[in-house]
Amino acid sequence: MNRPKSDGMTFTKEPYIEDTGARKIAGISFSTLSETEIMKIGEVQVWHADYYDAFKKPVPGGLLDSRMGAANKSLSCATCHGLYADCQGHYGYLPLARPVFNVGFLSTIVKILKCICKHCARVLLDEDSRKKSLMKMRNPKLDGLQKMQLLESIMKKYKSVKAIACPRCGYINGSVKHNKSTLSIIHDCDNEVVAELQSALSDVNNYRASSDLTSRVLDPLRVHSLFKKMHVEDCDLLYIEKPEKLIITNIAVPPIVIRPSVIMDGVSNENDITVKLKEIIKVNACLGQESGESSKFQENWLMLQFHVAQYINSDVKGGSIYNQPSKPLTGFIQRIKGKQGRFRSNLSGKRAEYTGRTVISPDPNLKITEVAIPIHMARILTYPERVTHHNIEKLRQCMRNGPDKYPGARLLKKSGGTSWNLKLSSRKRLADELKFGDIVDRHLEDGDIVLFNRQPSLHRMSMMSHRARIMPWRTLRFNESVCNPYNADFDGDEMNLHVPQTEEARTEALLLMTVQNNLCTPKNGEILVASTQDFLTSSFLITRKDTFYDRSAFSLICSYMGDGMDLIDLPTPAIIKPVELWSGKQLFSILLRPHANVRVYVNLTVKEKIYNAKKRDDRNRELKTMCLNDGFVYFRNSELISGQIGKVTLGNGNKDGLFSVLLRDYKSDAAASCMNRLAKLSARWIGNHGFSIGIEDVQPKVILIHRKNETIDKGYDVCDRFIEDFHKGKLKLAAGCDAAQTLESSIFGTLNNLRDATAQVCMQTLHWRNSPLIMSQCGSKGSPSNICQMVACVGQQSVGGCRAANGFLDRSLPHFPKRAQTPAAKGFVRNSFYSGLSATEFFFHTMAGREGLVDTAVKTADTGYMSRRLMKALEDLFLHYDYTVRDTNGSIVQFCYGDDGMDPAGMEGENGKPLNFDRLFLRSKAICPPDGDHVILSSSDVRRVLQEKLSEVGMSNSVEKDASDIMSEVGFSADFIQSLQSFVEKNTLTEIITEGDSTNLKNLSNFIPKISGISRRQLEVFLDICLSRYRFKKIEAGTPIGAIGAHSIGEPGTQMTLKTFHFAGVASMNVTLGVPRIIEIINGAPNIKTPIITAILERDDNANIAKVVKGRIEKTNLGQVAKSIQVVYTSRSAAILISLDMKIIEDAHLNIDANTVKQSILQSGLKLKSENIKVLDMKKLQVDPRVASRSEILFQLNNLKNLLPLVVVKGVKTVERAVLEIKKEKKPETYNLLVEGKGLKEVMGIEGVNGHRTVSNHIIEMMNILGIEAARYCIIEQIQYTMKSHGMSIDVRHIMLLADMMTVRGQVLGMTRHGIQKMGRSSLMLASFESSTDYLFDAALRGKGDPIDGVSDCIIMGKPIHIGTGMIEVQQRLEPSVLPRGANPILSGV
Amino acid sequence: MADDDYEDIDMGYEEEPAEPEIEEGAEEEDPDNKNDDIDGLGEPIETEEKEDDQPVERPRRTSKYMTKYERARILGTRALQISMNAPVMVELEGETDPLEIAMKELRERKIPFTIRRYLPDGSYEDWGVDELIVEDSWKRQVGGD
Repeated sequence: MNRPKSDGMTFTKEPYIEDTGARKIAGISFSTLSETEIMKIGEVQVWHADYYDAFKKPVPGGLLDSRMGAANKSLSCATCHGLYADCQGHYGYLPLARPVFNVGFLSTIVKILKCICKHCARVLLDEDSRKKSLMKMRNPKLDGLQKMQLLESIMKKYKSVKAIACPRCGYINGSVKHNKSTLSIIHDCDNEVVAELQSALSDVNNYRASSDLTSRVLDPLRVHSLFKKMHVEDCDLLYIEKPEKLIITNIAVPPIVIRPSVIMDGVSNENDITVKLKEIIKVNACLGQESGESSKFQENWLMLQFHVAQYINSDVKGGSIYNQPSKPLTGFIQRIKGKQGRFRSNLSGKRAEYTGRTVISPDPNLKITEVAIPIHMARILTYPERVTHHNIEKLRQCMRNGPDKYPGARLLKKSGGTSWNLKLSSRKRLADELKFGDIVDRHLEDGDIVLFNRQPSLHRMSMMSHRARIMPWRTLRFNESVCNPYNADFDGDEMNLHVPQTEEARTEALLLMTVQNNLCTPKNGEILVASTQDFLTSSFLITRKDTFYDRSAFSLICSYMGDGMDLIDLPTPAIIKPVELWSGKQLFSILLRPHANVRVYVNLTVKEKIYNAKKRDDRNRELKTMCLNDGFVYFRNSELISGQIGKVTLGNGNKDGLFSVLLRDYKSDAAASCMNRLAKLSARWIGNHGFSIGIEDVQPKVILIHRKNETIDKGYDVCDRFIEDFHKGKLKLAAGCDAAQTLESSIFGTLNNLRDATAQVCMQTLHWRNSPLIMSQCGSKGSPSNICQMVACVGQQSVGGCRAANGFLDRSLPHFPKRAQTPAAKGFVRNSFYSGLSATEFFFHTMAGREGLVDTAVKTADTGYMSRRLMKALEDLFLHYDYTVRDTNGSIVQFCYGDDGMDPAGMEGENGKPLNFDRLFLRSKAICPPDGDHVILSSSDVRRVLQEKLSEVGMSNSVEKDASDIMSEVGFSADFIQSLQSFVEKNTLTEIITEGDSTNLKNLSNFIPKISGISRRQLEVFLDICLSRYRFKKIEAGTPIGAIGAHSIGEPGTQMTLKTFHFAGVASMNVTLGVPRIIEIINGAPNIKTPIITAILERDDNANIAKVVKGRIEKTNLGQVAKSIQVVYTSRSAAILISLDMKIIEDAHLNIDANTVKQSILQSGLKLKSENIKVLDMKKLQVDPRVASRSEILFQLNNLKNLLPLVVVKGVKTVERAVLEIKKEKKPETYNLLVEGKGLKEVMGIEGVNGHRTVSNHIIEMMNILGIEAARYCIIEQIQYTMKSHGMSIDVRHIMLLADMMTVRGQVLGMTRHGIQKMGRSSLMLASFESSTDYLFDAALRGKGDPIDGVSDCIIMGKPIHIGTGMIEVQQRLEPSVLPRGANPILSGV
Repeated sequence: MADDDYEDIDMGYEEEPAEPEIEEGAEEEDPDNKNDDIDGLGEPIETEEKEDDQPVERPRRTSKYMTKYERARILGTRALQISMNAPVMVELEGETDPLEIAMKELRERKIPFTIRRYLPDGSYEDWGVDELIVEDSWKRQVGGD
């Protein structure tokens, strides 16, 4: 009830002024300013071209007028009286003598001019369609995108129209053109009246100005007046607010803070904008003085136009040549545009304080969650800690230490707002006066949370939070196990460190970004933080079968695991007599379960690299634990039963490895502590044991040299035979290849196999203690072929997927005879790195080596750009609370993420299945061992238990019930329940058999079920684990799945080799793969390099039928089936006679006769009429030339004779060729056709092809022919195929999201700026992506608004993003205050 | 750089088939679409009181489990409050780190917060922190030991 009181009144109390707090940007609206608006915001009219007067004072009315802000530090603003640092600047204005076009809008101006009458300024549409279009345009439900589409459809009519009469005034409008060189618009009114005039004038001799008559320049003044005249409805129709604003009549001179002068050596250097404005003022002044019609005036006007254009966009070419400045000045567009521009450099990415960067180095003694920070760095990086009761003494001590002594502090911020630098000597006094609530910027200390990052930050694990550990020396150190997610090594890599400055930031970093919470990659759920290199080697050596330790050694090694302080229960020694000996495998049991109170029971089986799967026992079963190489790793209840541990068990990129199992079954801390223990153990153990590589490791034994030579010579012989055959012409051709290609591919294949063969020989002969061999076996480093290259033979060098090309005439190097095809002449390196390469071999090796280098250099740029585009397209997608995936506009992209709403990071099974039933089954059987009295369930009991458990969770008859209701708490997908049921039934099947057996042999019934049967408890535990764990794997609302998906697709891209072609089943059929293919797919490219249609045949078991269909698809020319095409002259006429070779036609099962050929010729576009072609009989045609003069007839005949053989008589024209693919997996071999080229529709229609199953790899074609859903499916399939052929697995959910995003709008939108623009994003987001200024101009033109919702928008405006933790609001719950109630009113009771 | 020469890559884009015109039929939308927002929005405190007085009009549909993002946000906000000397709602057993205290409070469901979950249509649901189920593994997820 406070009434505002008049001034001068004194208050006994301060009036209540609401504290609105810090203001937030709610939105932005873009617009163009009119002449008067500019004048209104301007503080001063700028007209003087000088900067300073003689006294170094800014000239009033000049470009540095102090009313626009302080020009340098010594001055102050004349408008707001602020100092240089305080004043935010004020605009000036500069009225132009004549209007000029705004270059940014020039193309729009032309477009508008095309649509309006150049006389009466109304739209050229006739009244009816104008009204209709206007109504559509004014529909309030249209968004900007739809309006633009509508507008485009209107404007398209007038895009290239010539001479149209205005339906209102009748004025005949010509075409409007934009002359880029002079920045002018030309109206080309080439209509009848003018034509008549022209024809009259053409009689006049030497009249040359005729062109001037038809084309008139529409100067800015005229356009301005036209635009001013435009009707409001027409403006609405053309989706524009005030068209006259597109023409500059008044320049808003930007404040001086925007264009600061740089003072160097006392001389003030002005900003480019200021310089340009000065030129504009000069020309403007000249223009003002000239009279209207003089040529000087026109020239000056053009000059002004040019300068104003350059002021906005300095790239504008034109104007007089002599006036070009040597160095192009930066216009406004240049400031905004590009990677260094405002958007990408300053708005989307900002500089940060509290950061550090140095070289990294390894330290296995650190925990995986820790990072060692050099003490020098810790003294500079600070954290503002608020003084509380708990920390006051610690902070006092820090303050006393000051900024230079380590546990010190740099700054004290008093609660009042004043701050004190603690470098001052008074810090002791300040420390004593420290109060609760003050903030001390203290040095970093142990346990602080820091963010650690290595560029390129390709996925979210490139930036994780660690606990700080302050250490001496100068490098940042961390556990080697964490190298993988950062993709770091220690060859001089540097990494960055950021210190979160608020308690909220720390908490979020700790809870969401720690290493522990990111052990798994969301790419596919594989573990990423895992042991590497030496850790693997030492584990491998420790778990050797023959490693035994006595009590003292074993105890010592046990104490390596921790820091000697941990409780460890020594197990029973493996050998008791004559001495107690423990095996190395027992060390691993301790590592997993150090003492009895640790309840970690790991159960897993893994086949290591050295596991020999081929070796079978006498009943043809796999040897498993009895493997001779000891390659079958079996942990049972945390005890290592068998197996020598290597990379598959401990390393990254495996879902069933030890750490994965620990992570899934016992959460991340179990996995992390186990990794810590292993890191310490192996680093210390291998330090004592010693592991090194020397020259003797790569010296081949005599027998190896012998056998290597044997192998290579044999290979050479094979190649020689090929060459011989080739020269004799006896070489058997491969499908779709000529002789040379066949030779090349067979030699190349032979030689490539040669290295593998020698590698095998090499591995057999190496001593078992050979270090490279050990490293290769355990998977820590190196492959057999690497070893082979060192020891035996380097092998074939390839450049671009084939042998060395001929750099000289017919030969690769002048050391070889011409046309030599021998292995050595084409880059086969017979020597090993140990024996040394010969000169030619060395040269070939450098060629191959260079290709690799070039490839990586090119690849990084390509994949980087791809990642950026993916990120920009998907960044806004996240999971809402109703489990839908939506973009910023709120339009749904997916109703349920990945169709089942599961988190890809949590997937345990292969191919993105949530659980690995086999492992869980093993585990549940192991952790509840069957006692003697356990009843083994019969198969009917098993089914009953299963039903009971399912009904417990409300999924009794799961498949019938709508299991996909994601909103329900249970939400098991039908697929999951089904797979669980079938798994249980399959795994109790053995038990059914034993039932039958046990009736016969009573004896068996006692123990067989115990081996393979399952007790009730075991089954229940198994089902409980499965069902409860499924729920934890649901993806949580708020997850930024868009960004995660973009990372998951972009990051593997960097690992793919750039140019890989691959043979799709058959030789000679190339498919683009690798990064180029991925880019093709996500661009939605209309033309792809290798379009291939996979045609499934209706009868796919018969090679002959397949060949017939192949013949129908492949295009056949007339020349191929004609016996002869000859010109026949008779006395009366001349004609061409075609006779078909019916034998060939029948052999190829082509359904061709003379009649069909006639049809084909008619359709071929030879301009022959039906009467010209006469069918003589089934195999003869006569083609008469078109009736023409006698002189032309010979030419015609010859021409026809040349063209007729090329006429396609059968097959699909767009198809290059078809290749028969033979699939040998199934017993009756199946055939299908791979068709190279476009034309899916035609191929589908061909008889014998099963159209229902025939697909293309061309996405746009799939969309056009089969529809958008087919295109979506095709995108998913193709990306998966490409990734798989590079040995990369990506969870299909990411690809689905990408495909959905590309197809939600009903057409395939590529991840390019055109596609992203159509996804309906805000102007700011588009501007921060590419071609920033275009979108800004467009936004200003249409008066668009931006609500700042999207991720990019929020980053640019410095607002929190509404994803993840920013999605919710948190309210403090206050006890509702009890209002005192007075006595009841007297009258209320009545 | 690859993205600098994008100008050259696909300048042929303009040749693309034109967009289909927008059919008028598609413009129809149900008019009562907007009403949800108006119902949902309003003075936050009022709704709060309303919920206390009378049971919520419609059942809350979002998950009763707390997401990790909510947990991080709540703990962060609460830790900030505690670091600024806010009264602690639990008995302390020697903890000094504000985050640890906040975690203990969450464990004992003593954090006096309400979470407002926004649904995509602009409506929201209020959930008390004590109503939500917090997964039990969270306490071990702290790396510091």
